[in-house]
Amino acid sequence: MFSFTKEQKVLDIKGVRVGGQPGVNPTLIITGFFFKSKPDRGLAERYIPGLISLSGKLGNPVIPDFFIKREEYVDDVVEIIKEILPGDHPFSVDIVDPAVKVKTLERLHEEDMLSRTIYNSIHVGVTSKEQEALEEYKPEAAIVLCFNPKDNSVDGRIEVLENSAHLNDKGLLDLAKEVGVDKLLLDTAAMSPGENSGAALAAIPVLKEEYGYPVGCAIHNVVEKSTWLKNYDDVYRVVDASSNSAVPLFGGDYVISGPVEYYNTVIPLVAWFDILVSEYTEGYFGVEPSVNHPRRRLLR
Amino acid sequence: MSKRLMTTVVGSYPVDVDALSLIRSYYESEEVKWGYYIESAVGDMVKAGVDIISDGQTRDSFINIFIRRLEGCRVRARPEIIAPIRYKEGIILDDYKYVKNMITSTTRLKGVITGPYTLAKSCVDYYYYDTEKAAYGFAEALNEEAVRLQGLVDYISVDEPFYSQELPVYSKELLSTLLRGVDKPSVLHVCGDVSGIIPDLLDQPVDMLSHEFKASSFLLDEFKEYWDDSKMICLGVVRADSQVVETVDEIKTHIDKGLNVFGDRLVHVAPDCGLRLLPRKVAFQKLSNMVEAARLV
Repeated sequence: MFSFTKEQKVLDIKGVRVGGQPGVNPTLIITGFFFKSKPDRGLAERYIPGLISLSGKLGNPVIPDFFIKREEYVDDVVEIIKEILPGDHPFSVDIVDPAVKVKTLERLHEEDMLSRTIYNSIHVGVTSKEQEALEEYKPEAAIVLCFNPKDNSVDGRIEVLENSAHLNDKGLLDLAKEVGVDKLLLDTAAMSPGENSGAALAAIPVLKEEYGYPVGCAIHNVVEKSTWLKNYDDVYRVVDASSNSAVPLFGGDYVISGPVEYYNTVIPLVAWFDILVSEYTEGYFGVEPSVNHPRRRLLR
Repeated sequence: MSKRLMTTVVGSYPVDVDALSLIRSYYESEEVKWGYYIESAVGDMVKAGVDIISDGQTRDSFINIFIRRLEGCRVRARPEIIAPIRYKEGIILDDYKYVKNMITSTTRLKGVITGPYTLAKSCVDYYYYDTEKAAYGFAEALNEEAVRLQGLVDYISVDEPFYSQELPVYSKELLSTLLRGVDKPSVLHVCGDVSGIIPDLLDQPVDMLSHEFKASSFLLDEFKEYWDDSKMICLGVVRADSQVVETVDEIKTHIDKGLNVFGDRLVHVAPDCGLRLLPRKVAFQKLSNMVEAARLV
């Protein structure tokens, strides 16, 4: 269990609080929609109400992460978010193609939805047009992906934050500052087995101590790439869900938990580990859980 | 004379790295592949007709390539030493194997190792707090790389740009440590103004000296004063710090001046330094003109 000497930032993203010393705020669960499919209104209608209801019951905040693969999907995804995600609930947009990123920012601006938006993500491949769009259409928060193509060590993650490993003319933190996004969630970039996959977890406490920003990752991606594990059907899904428990254990603040279909398993599982962490950090470090923490919701 | 005068490079070559494609490999959970960039650098060197090429040092700066893979070192905002420096795995060996598989037997290879003193001076030292100890740490660690590398290459070149600013009193011993057990011809490359240390350079335990004789052409006169035929010479003939492409005639004239000083001990011609910071087209044209000029000598 960890307590950090660096002051820890707590971000408020439209009422969702993330970050801080381990044991204070419950782990944020960012759960994926449409990663392997076109925008699917039915899927969103089916899962979003249950997701939000379970989050309210256990205390762990949830933010839907909408993957947008192609430009022609942008309008549909924005419509789905507008119509199905209640009120001001925040969401993230997960996009690889820079042109799609720019189009999405424009659309979200037109719909006055940028104040609910987490931009996923800023990384060493950010283009100048994307930077211009980010300056013009500022999202509420951004995930900063600490993937370093030159160095998959924990230090390599720090290097891209500091100077983009010289693949861009400035470090990712300066880049985010320059475009004016100051609510940042650091993603430690989970890599495949054989590529120092454990470094994504080891980097969590290091980055928190170094920078104080909320830190997390999509650790389930490592499970997805563990092809040998797929020979064990019964275990595969268990490991996929339980991999998320490593993030709070390493002092992290959020998990990108994979497809929404498994939220019923992931949210209680993460809540259980949050309680475990909170009991220790309160007893040893005197860190009290927030009012919405699962430990308060479920045990008191 | 012309049969002996070979063209070579100092080390680095420009590449246009596509960071977005590297990010895509992350999203696809694919291993980052660097072969394309090595092929682009090596392809240019071969196409220009260079006799002795390097791997292009495409992955990183000539400092970070080595720091990343040595135990006890790390790269964050700057390269750092945080524990005893030790060799743990091949550093540039895989890239040289890759190059070896790309080229024909007529093209020769120069294995380029960044020198221990330059590495020590380029790092923030949180462990030794002593440049000499750090430099020997690098020399011992890199000796293993040099010994393994010589099986793949025809020359081993040690790049010590810091020597032009300050030559440590232990430079000979340092280089001997690094090159212990290396049988291939060795080269010491020092760019910058070396006029104040020429006798010391001539005393270094290497077979060949390589300097920036083009940007610092006054070095020809300076060397004349001390020249004792003890070393072979690699003559810098095109600038690495200017985008102006030297003409074939200009390069040939410069080579002739070098021959007047060094005679048949002048065996290689090269750019003054690594070409990494030049636009690729400019670098290629400089190499092409250098090759043509060398053929005319």
